[in-house]
Amino acid sequence: MRKLLIGILSVLAFSLLLVSGIDYLNHAQGFTGDNTLTVYNWGDYIDPSLLKEFEEETGYKISYETFDSNEAMYTKINQGGTSYDIAVPSEYMISRMIEENMLRELDHSQIKGLEHINPRFLDLSFDRGNDYSIPYFWGTLGIIYNDKMIEDIPTSWNDLWDDSYRNELMLIDGAREVMGIGLQSEGYSLNLKNKQILVEIAAKLKEMTPNVKAIIADEIKMYMIQEEASIAVSFSGEASEMVWENENLHYVIPEEGTNLWFDNIVIPKTAKNVEGAYAFINFLLEPENAAINAEYVGYSTPNDAAKELMDPEIIADPQFYPSDAAIENMEVYENLGPEWLGLYNDLFLEVKMYRN
Amino acid sequence: MKLTSNSKGNNIFLFIIFVILYLPIFYLIFYSFNAGGTMNQFTGFTWEHYQAVFEDTRLIGIVLNTLLVAMLAALLATFIGTFGAIYIYYVKKKQNKKLLLSLNSILMVSPDVIIGASLLILFTLIGFNLGFVSVLLSHVAFSIPIVVLMVLPRLYEMKDSMIQAAEDLGANSWQVISRILLPSITPGILSGFFMAFTYSLDDFVVTFFVTGNGFSTLAVEIYSRARRGVSLEINALSALMFIFTLALVLGYNGIQIYGQKRREKAAKTVHFIESEGISL
Repeated sequence: MRKLLIGILSVLAFSLLLVSGIDYLNHAQGFTGDNTLTVYNWGDYIDPSLLKEFEEETGYKISYETFDSNEAMYTKINQGGTSYDIAVPSEYMISRMIEENMLRELDHSQIKGLEHINPRFLDLSFDRGNDYSIPYFWGTLGIIYNDKMIEDIPTSWNDLWDDSYRNELMLIDGAREVMGIGLQSEGYSLNLKNKQILVEIAAKLKEMTPNVKAIIADEIKMYMIQEEASIAVSFSGEASEMVWENENLHYVIPEEGTNLWFDNIVIPKTAKNVEGAYAFINFLLEPENAAINAEYVGYSTPNDAAKELMDPEIIADPQFYPSDAAIENMEVYENLGPEWLGLYNDLFLEVKMYRN
Repeated sequence: MKLTSNSKGNNIFLFIIFVILYLPIFYLIFYSFNAGGTMNQFTGFTWEHYQAVFEDTRLIGIVLNTLLVAMLAALLATFIGTFGAIYIYYVKKKQNKKLLLSLNSILMVSPDVIIGASLLILFTLIGFNLGFVSVLLSHVAFSIPIVVLMVLPRLYEMKDSMIQAAEDLGANSWQVISRILLPSITPGILSGFFMAFTYSLDDFVVTFFVTGNGFSTLAVEIYSRARRGVSLEINALSALMFIFTLALVLGYNGIQIYGQKRREKAAKTVHFIESEGISL
């Protein structure tokens, strides 16, 4: 009995120690309760120094939480029980959240700096008039290859079917991305709603399987840097990090065009600190901050004024800041609705399971 | 064939298993000192990742949160689980006992995803705010069955005659519980506590569903960071956690050995007094 009592007391004492530690940390950072801004963003998707600077500049304290997929973020916000003031979903998820009335309509009179954003990234199909969202980062899907290991440099999606890449290709694990490769290789729209053609595309993708080494996600980055594979399909932001780590790697946007995607800042309906949320949006729109952020994260910024402040070498790189003509060729995902999305997923699953 | 614990084959097998289990951990710790910044190549020795851990107040806050949740959840679960086990032990009807045990086991084997999702639905249904308390309650919930399973065998090992004797000698039920029942199942309670503690510490799936409002635990945080490649800061943190748990285990064993020695010493003294015929 004495042993148990000692045990209980020591656990309680330790817990008290922890509580005071947490309290001390919160105080040291200046959290008091109503000045907190809760930000829900992708993991490692902002320069941490910006968070500190925002806190110093405005007096708000940021409670920063991260997610790893649009779906996880959607579920958290949709289920309630949370009060995020800022979230950063991708375009197809934004249109779904608008439809389901989960986002707060933005008061444009409170937003400063929208004029810095390239008009190309405003007023898009998923959020006309930017009533709900402000661009944060954008990027493309493309091919990364290692010039040491490959002789024929790929220039189009159709090159992925080439025999010389047998068992070398790594694909990103996404239904719309992989189906999109097939669709664009045949000149169709990424948002095609035609069952017969989609089935044909899936059949074409199955012919690619002898080339496919793996269908994975984040691991691609590591494998490519370590030269475990010579060619992969992944997102431009990931590619920029790979190119940074291994100079033999190069990123190509296929000539048929590709998917143009966006991560935008939104304010969920459940937000408590709306004033702080606007302050945060304005802070990120400032060219100087956008430039710092873009150099840290490695994805492409939609902020034209920021581009002028950045390392000219980065901006001049057509791999990550493609020309207007190249962008003309690109397409944004539209929300297909559950039925068509289901078909895309089913066909992708068939491709994944196909063995030859 | 006679199986002995120290036969050569056994030892080699044991050694291989330990190497397999510990190698990844040491590999991880080794690279926490890498100046290169990635796990690809060791380029030089540095403390900078450890420095980064201590400068990252958000990460330290998350570590403290994780430990606090684990401590309190294990404590509460041990309370509830111990009394649950005692209750199950005293259930008279065999069928009811079996039913209770099966319900307990179902919770043990049901997938974390199901538990996490159903807890999330429960919390949001009753309008509960996600955060520290929701995580704590969830951890208590999935730890209770573990404690029950750790305590029950001790109860069955206990001699019922001791309790009967105590009752015959006029002990009331509180005295029976505090003087006989609890002391004889203490080892079970302690191991239940530590099991619950470790379960809570490394739980990801359930926690993932019920965190919110800026509250996060280490498992969830590392998972979100993994999307962009785990930095060596996490390696450094893992090394620190490993040393911390190692110290805990060594400390616990030290206390056990110390207690055992003291008991042996006491037993020897009693023996000495008896054999020398010294009257007290």
